Amino acid sequence: MNNIVEFKGVTKHLKDFSIKDINLQIKQGYVTGFIGANGAGKSTTMKLMMNLLKADEGDINVFGMDYASNEKEIKERMGFVYDSNVFYESLNLKDIRRIVAPAYKNWDDKQFYDYIKKFELPLNKGIKTFSKGMQMKASLAIALSHEAEFIMMDEPTAGLDPVFRRELLDILQEIMKDGRRTLFFSTHITSDLERIADYITFIQKGKILFTDSMEDVQDRYALVKGNMDVINRDIEKMFIKIERSSYGFTALTNDVAGIKAVLGNRVSMEPATLEDIMFYAKGAERQYV
Amino acid sequence: MFNLIKKDLIIQKGELLVSVAIIVLYAIFARQLSPFFIFLVASIFLPLNAYINEEKTKINILWNSLPYTRREIVAAKYVGAALFMVLSIGVAGIILYIFNYSYTIRDMAIGAGLFFIFAAFTFPLFYILKPGYIGTAIMIGFLVFSFVLSSIVPFLTENLTVIIHFLTSLSSLTLYLSGAIIAISLYLLSWTISQFVYQRKVF
Repeated sequence: MNNIVEFKGVTKHLKDFSIKDINLQIKQGYVTGFIGANGAGKSTTMKLMMNLLKADEGDINVFGMDYASNEKEIKERMGFVYDSNVFYESLNLKDIRRIVAPAYKNWDDKQFYDYIKKFELPLNKGIKTFSKGMQMKASLAIALSHEAEFIMMDEPTAGLDPVFRRELLDILQEIMKDGRRTLFFSTHITSDLERIADYITFIQKGKILFTDSMEDVQDRYALVKGNMDVINRDIEKMFIKIERSSYGFTALTNDVAGIKAVLGNRVSMEPATLEDIMFYAKGAERQYV
Repeated sequence: MFNLIKKDLIIQKGELLVSVAIIVLYAIFARQLSPFFIFLVASIFLPLNAYINEEKTKINILWNSLPYTRREIVAAKYVGAALFMVLSIGVAGIILYIFNYSYTIRDMAIGAGLFFIFAAFTFPLFYILKPGYIGTAIMIGFLVFSFVLSSIVPFLTENLTVIIHFLTSLSSLTLYLSGAIIAISLYLLSWTISQFVYQRKVF
């Protein structure tokens, strides 16, 4: 399986934040969801991926090429959707097409107008009159009109109403059908990912905690509940974080098999959602640091 | 790169008309002005406006996400501004001619020279400073400039005879040629500085 994006030991220090020694692989042909709390480093990572930021250390390869020598080739094949409007607000889509289309060798006007029609976007109204969802669709239409093989979306579902969010997820599912595209998208609405993601990358405080397939995540992680008396020092090590209460404990583990072997039916287990994982992992850092 | 220059025209469709209107207004109401000043205003308007437009939005994220290099983005601005300058001076010339406003080729040359110098000092500001601070910076720059000018003027009047003597000793060709070389060198230096700053910019 090929990696479309590869980060090797990437470090970037910004004024009040840094990401350290990031290793990241995005698999070709799949949807990878990028999760993490606000301020965990999602946007910074995506900016590094687009070369809007340059890494202090480490290598970033996209399509097996690096930005230093192949910047234009890489960007020809990439599509982007940012969490806020990056187009001139006063321009309409017709004019935006006129300034963006010539940038791409593979631009397909027919495709563009087809998507505009499909997404029900007005051609002659200024972008500033667009709702958040329409702006997002406009960016997506542009990304899809130049045969982008890799589409990067920064928080595309944030600020969308539930109906619109579903509609977007359906669109994304559809564009992934032919298997030619790779999608990487960040979100903190984890239920979106449970619907469409094949892989999950989890970032926390500037560090990647894991990149795993959705099934692996669901197999390995679980919420464990039981009485306090089963917990000892060794057992404690098998949990990422334990929440104690007077009734007993609830804990997150990433070692379902181990827990089953040691504790068996003395505890109850239920599948952990991505949200559970985010929540407990956040607590863990606070507890052990 | 040509696409990046063209986009400044597409975006400034409205401003194109405004700039023609400004020249017409000058031609009608500002008869006492030196024509070179009209040429300067005409030439600087569109390029400066292009920068100011881009200051407001996250547009730099867009250009840098499209298949352009940072080098091309800066080059397009400088080459484009020079092209706009030539066009604007041409258009201004035609308008002034229509309104019977007398001027010479010399006025055009001085206008172009001052354009290069003014652009050389203001363009890099848009790369160096954070958006929103540039207006303030240009204001402070203007104050400093007028302060410097006010201290230079007495010096000039004191040594006027010497300077005039020196200038008249040069042929007008040498004078214009050296003026042009200085103005264009400043512009190229400014381009290099902007290029250097933009390469390191964080979006």
